[in-house]
Amino acid sequence: MLFFSFFKTLTNQTVTIELKNDIRIRGILKSVDQYLNIKLDDIEVLDLDKYPHLSSVKSMFIRGSVVRYVMLPRSEVDVGLLEDATRRGE
Amino acid sequence: MSFFGFDTTLPRDRQQGGPARGFFENPDPFAEVARAQALEDDDGIDFEDTYDGLGDQLDDDQDAFNDDTFGGGDTGAAATGNVGRDFDFFGTTAKVADVIGEEQVRYALQNPSAAPLAAQQRAAAPAPATTATAATTTAKRTGYEKYSDPGYIPDLQAKSSVWGVSQKKPEPIPAASRRPMMSLEEVEAQMRQRSQAAPAMPPQSIPQHMAEQAYLPHPQYPQGVPEGFPAIPPEYLRAALEKGVLPPGMPGLPPGIPELHGGPVMSGPPPMHIQQNQLPPQTLPPQGPRHAGPPPGPRQQQQQQQMPPPPSTRGPNGGLPVITNPQQLMHLTEEQRNAYLVEDAKRAKRNHKIFLLSRGNGLMTPQDKNFITRIQLQQLVAAAGNVADADPEAVLSEDFYYQVYSQIRGAPRQHPHQPLGHFAQTYLLQTGNRLGGHGNRRAFQSADNHMQRMQQQVQRAVEAAKAKPKNKQLIIEGSLGKISFSNAKAPKHMLNIKRPDSSEGPRPKKVQSDLSLSDRKSILTNIESVYSALMAMEDMERTMPPPPEEGDSEAIQEHMEWRQKVHSLNQKLWRALKVMEPIVPNSTTPHPFIAFLSYPKGKKAIPRIFRHIDQEQRVTILTMIVVHLDSLDVVRLAQPGPGEAQPSVAVRESIDLFSLAVMPSLLGYVNEAPFNIIIGLLGLVIAQTHVQSVARTKVGLGILTMLLSRAEIVKEAGQAAERDWQQWVEKFNVLFDTLEPSLADIFPGAINTGDDMYVWQFLAAVGIGASPEQQQRLVIAVKDRVMETVGYSKTLPADMASLRLGNVNLFMRAIGLDVELLG
Repeated sequence: MLFFSFFKTLTNQTVTIELKNDIRIRGILKSVDQYLNIKLDDIEVLDLDKYPHLSSVKSMFIRGSVVRYVMLPRSEVDVGLLEDATRRGE
Repeated sequence: MSFFGFDTTLPRDRQQGGPARGFFENPDPFAEVARAQALEDDDGIDFEDTYDGLGDQLDDDQDAFNDDTFGGGDTGAAATGNVGRDFDFFGTTAKVADVIGEEQVRYALQNPSAAPLAAQQRAAAPAPATTATAATTTAKRTGYEKYSDPGYIPDLQAKSSVWGVSQKKPEPIPAASRRPMMSLEEVEAQMRQRSQAAPAMPPQSIPQHMAEQAYLPHPQYPQGVPEGFPAIPPEYLRAALEKGVLPPGMPGLPPGIPELHGGPVMSGPPPMHIQQNQLPPQTLPPQGPRHAGPPPGPRQQQQQQQMPPPPSTRGPNGGLPVITNPQQLMHLTEEQRNAYLVEDAKRAKRNHKIFLLSRGNGLMTPQDKNFITRIQLQQLVAAAGNVADADPEAVLSEDFYYQVYSQIRGAPRQHPHQPLGHFAQTYLLQTGNRLGGHGNRRAFQSADNHMQRMQQQVQRAVEAAKAKPKNKQLIIEGSLGKISFSNAKAPKHMLNIKRPDSSEGPRPKKVQSDLSLSDRKSILTNIESVYSALMAMEDMERTMPPPPEEGDSEAIQEHMEWRQKVHSLNQKLWRALKVMEPIVPNSTTPHPFIAFLSYPKGKKAIPRIFRHIDQEQRVTILTMIVVHLDSLDVVRLAQPGPGEAQPSVAVRESIDLFSLAVMPSLLGYVNEAPFNIIIGLLGLVIAQTHVQSVARTKVGLGILTMLLSRAEIVKEAGQAAERDWQQWVEKFNVLFDTLEPSLADIFPGAINTGDDMYVWQFLAAVGIGASPEQQQRLVIAVKDRVMETVGYSKTLPADMASLRLGNVNLFMRAIGLDVELLG
């Protein structure tokens, strides 16, 4: 539940998500569930030239299993707290 | 069964039908539909199949009621008077053709005497059965039999409106309405009387043959259109009856036949044909057209022959519409008609829907459904289980980061203590209503039981969820693997790794060996164990019981237990810190605690540790740091290498971290420390460390500044005993003498590199405590730097210049001077 707990704190922050098919999407994280499925609003696809079919997409639901990276705003992460939360796991 | 709903079936008919009734009593409302679907494929119709020989029974003499029927003295006059509408016998007849046909068939079946042919007699055999059944099962009509026929077109009846000759009706109606008022005996008598006159009919022979052929060669002819005639729903008819519009004699319509047969079809033969014969001539006109038109009648008959079951559809109501419908429609205004049609269409649609939905009917018993519901509820409860037993602590451990982060950063809190199981309740109630509403007389009682059992089940499930063991996996004896439990809150773990308890970990044996005490891995392990002890203590802090009141022994007891736990945790933390490990002089490996401090994690832990330890432990830590001052990473590595202006970036970062995390804690203690401890610490610095190199580092200078300023404060406050003060001055002098030669070197690099404020602070601290003679030597030692800074600050922007001069002034004022004097 750590990651779920963690990502919950990032709601309404702008994150960049890189999918396993190399598509990178920047958008506002609207919600996340325990499978780390992600809902993004106001999205913007980086390298839009390569994925023109996404040019009119405004929001997305991303299945958690296809996410490779989530790039976060550093200021929104409380590292110490996160460390402690990690220590609590189990 | 009859016009008025009473059962006119004669006892003998009942007996006849007796054996068959059991079978036809089948209450399944959809049997008819299924049957119709099976048969609907073949719609082709032979004339011979469709002709039932009714025409044979025509009696030309009995045309006495023609006028009543057709509303006029002679047809010719009627035709001239109203050419436009009157002559469309075919069209109008066709609209009720199915009804007519059906009635004819029934008539044929039930009047063996009137229809003398063998075929008809044969066909008559099933009739009584049908009749009897119909009488008893009328209530079970489903009402949507006809909709199973894809070819069903309600418009057929609608068009009969075209045909209405409204002005002629008034006369027949009274007669018609009077007629039904006859008593049963009267009716029967009349029927018997008329039946004797029936047989003499001219066109008899041909139709008879046809009828014979029709029945003989194709007895099994499968036909689809099962529900030709009940197109007008019973409700409608009933309504019509109530209005007193009991309607038989309509001009041009085949009212005679339908009327007479419609109701009593199912009744015994005698009443039937009497009425039939009552209006023999009327039957003729419709019949002609009927043969040419769609002949559902025979189909109907065949159907009855093949599969007598539809009895349920042939109730008295089923028969009545035949009479009332056309009449009724004619009475209606256009709007009413339309309304009726719309209504009818709606009903058809709805019935069709019901039919579609009902395909799965009866697949599951109420018990099955309850069983499934219980399983679902159980899963629901199990899934919610984690939340259900959520005391704040459990939520916190599940969702620690989010919960704490929310509190810290004021993020919107999603009520973590949401009342749970309210799902289960909701569903439980809903299901209960539905079951209760059904009120299925058979299942009613058991439904109640089911509800109780379900409730108990849910209660048990909730309790089980609460009591559920925390371990998320189950190892069944003899199985090769582990079974992981999962739910929505805690998805299944892909890996189940059994961790050794921390007590069995590798740490204890490492304690024995000095070497392993300071290797990286064990240091990190130490740090982690410190953190877990810390977190345990922080949890204890949260759960601290309220201070016990006097005399409340229970609360006192609780409080004592709590303190006991805190104390043991404190001991655990203290052991994990390894501050008390023996100091090994000249050891190549740093002391475990100093190693602990060399990691950022360790430095960050200090403020938290200081909150949970007592003063004695704090001074122990401070002492340990001071003793090992020059082996601290932030001191040892902070000496810039030859040719380097300042230490590497990593070192600078760790120095900054130390200054931010550790120094405030130390300062906090030192500011309250008794004077003798300060003296002792200063003595340790002088004795144990290489003061000159320590003084060249920010951290080293910081600690010295800390001690010197505290001593000055104690002196100013007059708290220092004379003897202590003498001791202090002694130490101070040693320090001063040691440092004096290198005072110019304690500045970090050149004038233009970095921040040198901490140096000026140190110099100020020294200056305050110094004797006038020492102050002079101090000024001489740092004079160059002062002048440099003053000159340099003139080249800087005003704000930065004032900052630098302010730093210098800190020192200058400490010795009674001011940069202004340097002008």
